[in-house]
Parts: sequence; structure tokens; C-alpha cells
Amino acid sequence: MESLGYLMAGLGAALSFNNLLFAFAGCVLGTLIGVLPGLGPAAGTAILIPLTFNLDATGAIIMLCAIYYGAMYGGTITSVLINVPGEAASVVTCIDGYQMAKQGRAGSALAIAAIGSFVGGIVATILLVVVAAPLASLALKFGPAEFFALMVAGLCLVVGLAGRNILAALLMTALGLLLSLIGMDPVRGAPRFTFGVEELYDGIGFVPVVMGLFGVGELLLAAEARQTHLIQADLKKWYPTRDEWRRSSGAIGRGTVIGFVLGLIPGVGAIVPTFMAYVLEKRVSKNPERFGKGAIEGVASAETANNAYANGSMVPLLALGVPSSPTIAVLMGAFIVNGLTPGPFLFQEKPELVWTVIASFFVGNVLLLILNLPLVGLWARLLKIPFAYLCTGVLIFCIIGAYGLKQSLFDVWVMLGFGVLGYVLRKLDFPIAPAILALILGPMMEKSLRTTLEISGGSFAIFLDRPLALALLAVPLIVLAAIVVRPRAFANLRQTDIE
Amino acid sequence: MLRRRTLIAAAGATALATPAFAQNFPRKAVQMIVAFPAGGNTDIGARILASIAEKDLGQPITVVNKGGAGGQIGFTEGARARPDGYTVTFINLPSVSTIVLDPERKAAFKMDSFVPVVNQVLDPGVVWVKADSPYKTFGDLLDAARKAPGKISACTTGILSDDHLAILMIDDAAKVDFRIVHFEGSAQQLTGVMGGHVDCAFDNVGGIVKRVKSGELRALVVTDDVRSKFLPDVPTTKELGFPSVISSSTRGIAVPKGTPADAIKVLETAFLKAINNPEHIKKMDEQGLALKPMVGAEYAKYYADSHAAATKYTEWALKQR
Repeated sequence: MESLGYLMAGLGAALSFNNLLFAFAGCVLGTLIGVLPGLGPAAGTAILIPLTFNLDATGAIIMLCAIYYGAMYGGTITSVLINVPGEAASVVTCIDGYQMAKQGRAGSALAIAAIGSFVGGIVATILLVVVAAPLASLALKFGPAEFFALMVAGLCLVVGLAGRNILAALLMTALGLLLSLIGMDPVRGAPRFTFGVEELYDGIGFVPVVMGLFGVGELLLAAEARQTHLIQADLKKWYPTRDEWRRSSGAIGRGTVIGFVLGLIPGVGAIVPTFMAYVLEKRVSKNPERFGKGAIEGVASAETANNAYANGSMVPLLALGVPSSPTIAVLMGAFIVNGLTPGPFLFQEKPELVWTVIASFFVGNVLLLILNLPLVGLWARLLKIPFAYLCTGVLIFCIIGAYGLKQSLFDVWVMLGFGVLGYVLRKLDFPIAPAILALILGPMMEKSLRTTLEISGGSFAIFLDRPLALALLAVPLIVLAAIVVRPRAFANLRQTDIE
Repeated sequence: MLRRRTLIAAAGATALATPAFAQNFPRKAVQMIVAFPAGGNTDIGARILASIAEKDLGQPITVVNKGGAGGQIGFTEGARARPDGYTVTFINLPSVSTIVLDPERKAAFKMDSFVPVVNQVLDPGVVWVKADSPYKTFGDLLDAARKAPGKISACTTGILSDDHLAILMIDDAAKVDFRIVHFEGSAQQLTGVMGGHVDCAFDNVGGIVKRVKSGELRALVVTDDVRSKFLPDVPTTKELGFPSVISSSTRGIAVPKGTPADAIKVLETAFLKAINNPEHIKKMDEQGLALKPMVGAEYAKYYADSHAAATKYTEWALKQR
């Protein structure tokens, strides 16, 4: 109850004119960062930190946090409209969001995403207030072995998601894992698969690959079809229908839980919860065949999960002083330069500041909703631009995004190369999402597995001693094996997928 | 106003020596590569310095964390950056040396790929456990390690880091055999040890002082010949009878070889000024990071001496492998 008192005082402070202004500015900047591909929340926040140096500590941190969750929402917009994820956590949103846009439901997708993000953010913040401390120490029990198992489970689920064409999905996963090995060995340091090409020392950039496979690939496909408009549909009724509301509500609830829980575990990253929420939604759905063809539940689950994750990942930062993602690490830097070291002692040292920042999460999420809902109709109208112009614009947008990341022309070529690959894969009807997820999870899996084996002295038996890791490993592997070994048992699923 | 005045002063000071360039540098943001993930002791020091130095530099400094492989990933990028003064790298000694010295690492940089500019910190090593650990003293930990050779796990901040070398030195001096687990930076050590996945951490004093004071962790020994002023109650390895086990991490700023001397001078002036700024001193003190400002010939000599010392230890460490 003591914390409730602090929270109320914090809410008062967060609603002061200055702090409200900082939260608002953060939300606007964050949305912009989310919209620009290549400029993810981590880079965006880092660039904007100097902006905050002349502010007081509270204002600075409020603004930076708002940029963070603002970006999580902003990434949705380009995912839905032009199939280019503005940041990693919006990759999943592309799958159904863009299909919805093609059917003229872009507005609906964006509105549901905004509302899902709002619910996810608010509920995660309430949970942060109520259960932060005990949950955080529980999350510490999640060691490298469990982490590795979780990553494997994530990959298996996504492969299972492909349903119709398991073999293609496995191939794409292998491709993603292979690409993730390029660069420097994360433990021993020696360069691998770089063939002496200096640009490859850093590995294959995730952003150019995603923009190529999704954005450029889609453009090539659309250009081939000689469309005059990217999307030919009536945009007047942009708001969600009653049926869409009904189908989204469950997805928003489940997305919130998944996003928050995974936010507690340091190092998971925002993209994993979105995939997991999406897969779960497909599994519980009565008609999973609609997924990938414009199912609003798909958009709702992923978008809710990434915002719940954004707010949930504040738990390890505030309760333990452990940054759980690159963006949170940047935020932690902002805390430190303002003379605050995140960790349990911060609640005792500067309770008024911590609670003002937490209260500002509520304020920021409300602002984000107010800011974005009225704009939905406007964004959707962008699709009225004739194809030739829109297409050129998107391509320029992607090239600048790829180049801007490291001012490297190499990344532009990578993006264009993967654009062609994306086009070919679409023609062959190969799923793209597993490759993307594998590319992201590959290095995390490798590192956690190697650490696990260092801890166990090289013995794989460590996975047997740890029930949670074992369960996380066993369930998806059994499901996957069953699909591969006894395809007949899953014939129904396959049948519906083909139709 | 204050900011503008200091900027003019700084520019004025260097303008005497280097008129043309000093006025043109820096004209855009400077990127600072930190070869360890955020939240660790290198990162904390770097961020504090960046936030103060950018006022003297007159341009923002963007801290970029490039963790992995005991710093090799970030150092490689820093060494291969365009030598125009707009990319500076936080170099950790002896890590830079050990990476260069280990043939298996196939390092894409050499010692002379970097020009050391300003040193910031000399951070002694420390061994710590979580507060409810059964090991109350360093002696307890060594007894346990003696009883169960190869079973007590100790984590480093990366392969061939100063922490890794410290474990090997203790192994040798106390005739024990720790099971070595390589983490990526000290923030990961924190979750690893506090979560009970690893028994103890070999780390540096900076960054853990607050957690020791709040009772979350227990520091067992500092690998130095004098006690740390931040942990006055913690004995040193010398006191405990291991005078040969002395290990620390020195951290400072370097630029890639070929960076114009004028730009180096501007950076040196701005960073040194920031290091001596009372605000910097206070914030570093709060974090338990001991300052050791060095520039020019003094730092260059330290860089060379530290490499010579590291050569001995690395050759020895590679034999242990």
C-alpha cells in the first residue's frame, strides 16, 4: 500500500506541465523513430540522449522512456501500410497487417494495434507496480540453460506455424541460422565465414535483411503485377468492425501476458514475444487458416505483446539494475549519467523519481493512444498515392534506412540482394518469417548454449537437471517431430491451409 | 551560456597550436565505441565521461555498445573505423593486448592500430559472491575449490580479459581449479551469479560498490597490493598471501591509427578537461571507479608497458589451455 501512495504522488508529478510535455515530445519522437526503417528504438534513443542533457533527470528519463514505447507503436505503421517493419518487433505485424491493408482494412489494423498497444502497456505497468520485486528475483532463476531452451522453443513454434510446408520452413530456418553465423565468434572472437570481406566482420545486418526480404521483395512482386495502386480497396470505413473487435479482445489479453512475462527475462528482446503471441493466437484460433491472409488477431496479438514487453522489461531494470535489451541499456545509460544507478537501492534512494517515471508510463500510454487514433485515417490514406510514386518513395525510404544505419553502401547492396531473394521466395511460396527469427535468435542461442556447457563442464545432462529447460525443449520438439514423422495425423490442418 | 563560453575557451586553447583544423573539428557527433554491453563497469565510466566531455567538445558523443568475444568485436570495429576523429574507442587493457597476442583469435587489429589518447580509469579486480552464498571469505571459496576440483564455477567478463587472467593466476598460486564460464560483460555476471547459475564472479571494483554497500553482494578479495578506497573492509590478495595475483583493468580512449594529430589534440584536450571536471570526479566516485588520468607520452608508455606485461601472462595462459 505504501507503493500506492508513492504512485499517486508520482502520478501528480508526472502530470505536471513540464513532465507532460516531455512525455508528449517523447511519444511523438518515438513514433517517428518507429516509422523510419533502420532507425530502431535503440539507435533512436541513443541519438536523442544528448537532447535531454539540459533537462532535469526526471524529465529526461520520462522523455527517453516515452521514445522507447512510442517507437514500439510507430513500427506498426509502415509494417501495415507498405510491408516494411519500422523496427524488429514489428516483423510479425507485417504478416497479417499488410494483408489487411491489401483488403482495405489498414485503418482497422492500425486502430486495433494502437488499442492493443495501449492495453498491453497499461496492464504491464500495473503489473510492474504490483509484482515487480518478487517476479524480478524469480526471473533470475532463468539461467543460460533455460534461455537456450526458450530460444529453441521459439524457433520450433515458428516452424510449426508454417503448417502447410514444414520442409520449406525448416529450410528457411536453416538459412537464417547460417546467416547468423557470419561475423565474429561471440565467445572466442575469431572471424567466421567472412571470406576476407571486411564488411562481414560485423555479421549480416538484421535491418537490411528484413527490409530487403519484406519491403523490396513485395515491391518487386507488385511491380510485376503492374498495379496502378498498391492497394485497391475502399478506405472509407477505416474503423474496426464489431466482428474485428470481438476477435481481437482475446488476442490482446493473451498478448499482454506473453509480452509482460518475457519482458522479465533479461536478453529475450522484443521480437520473441511477438512471434510467441502470434503463434499462440494461431493455435487457439478456431480457424487458423485465416492467419497470414489478414487475420486481425495476428496484428492485435503481436502489437500488444511488443508494448507489454516494452513496459515489462522495465522490471529487471528497475528492480535489479539489469538491462534486458539494447534499448533498455541505452535508457540505463541515461539513468547513470543523471547520477542514478538503476537497481533495488534506487527505490530507497530516490523513490519520488522512480515512481514519477513509473507513473509517466501510464501517462505516456494514454498520450500515445490519443496521438495515434486520430491519425489512423490519415495514415491509411497514404495508400491512395499512385503506385509508381509510392513504390519509388518506399524504395528510397528503404535505401536511406539501410545506408543510414552505419553509413555503409554495403548494407544497401545486402538489402537489394535480399530483396531479390525475397521476391524469389515469394514466387516459390517459401515462408520468410522463420528465416528472420532464426537470424535474430541464432547468436543468442549459440551464446547461451555455449555458456550452459561451460557451466556444466561440457555435459548436456544439465538440461535433464533443469525441469523448466527440459520442458521448454521437449514440448515443441515432440510436436515438431510428430508433424514430420506422421504428417497424416495433421492432414486436416494441412488441408485447410491449402484451401 | 556557460556551455558556449567553455567551448570558445577550449577551441581557443587548441587554436594556437593548430589553427586550421581545430576550428573545423568536430563538426558533427562523435561516436564512442564501448566493447562491452551496457550496464557494465566499462560502460558506466564511458557514459559518465561522454556526457561531460560532449559539453567541452561542443558536439554530442554517442555511446555505442558492441559487446562480445571479450571486447574483440568492439575493438575490431574501433580499429577499423575511418580515422577522422569521429570514432573513438574505449580500450580496455590488458584485453586489447591479450586478443592481439592469442593467435587463435585472428585479430584484425594490432597494437599500433590504436593511438591511445586519454586514460580514464584503473580499476582493480575483485572476487564477489551473492549475499546468501556459503562462502563468507576468500578462504572459504578456495577451500571449496580445493575439495571439488573443476566444480566451483567462476565467471569472467570475457575470454582472456583481466578477470580471466586473474582466475588463472589464482588457480596457479592457490593450487585450485575453477570451472571458468565466460560471460559478456559484468551485467551478465550479475544475473548469472545472483540467479545461482555460477558460484562466484571475477570482476572489477567499479560498478559493484553500490551493490556491496546495499548488501546484495559480498566482495571477498581485491586483486591488488593496496586496499581499494571504495571497499576499505575487503582484504587484498597480497594480505591473504598471494602477492603474485595482481590484476586490474585500465580503461581509456583511443583512436584508429592515421587520425590527424590536430583531431587527436582536440579530443585529448576535451576528454582530459572532462576527466578533471569535479562533476566527473564525483560521479565516478559514486560508482567506485578509480581515476587514473594519463595523456600523451605517459599514456603511450603505459600502453607499451602494459602490453609487455600482458605478453608474459598471455603466453602463460595459453599454455594452461
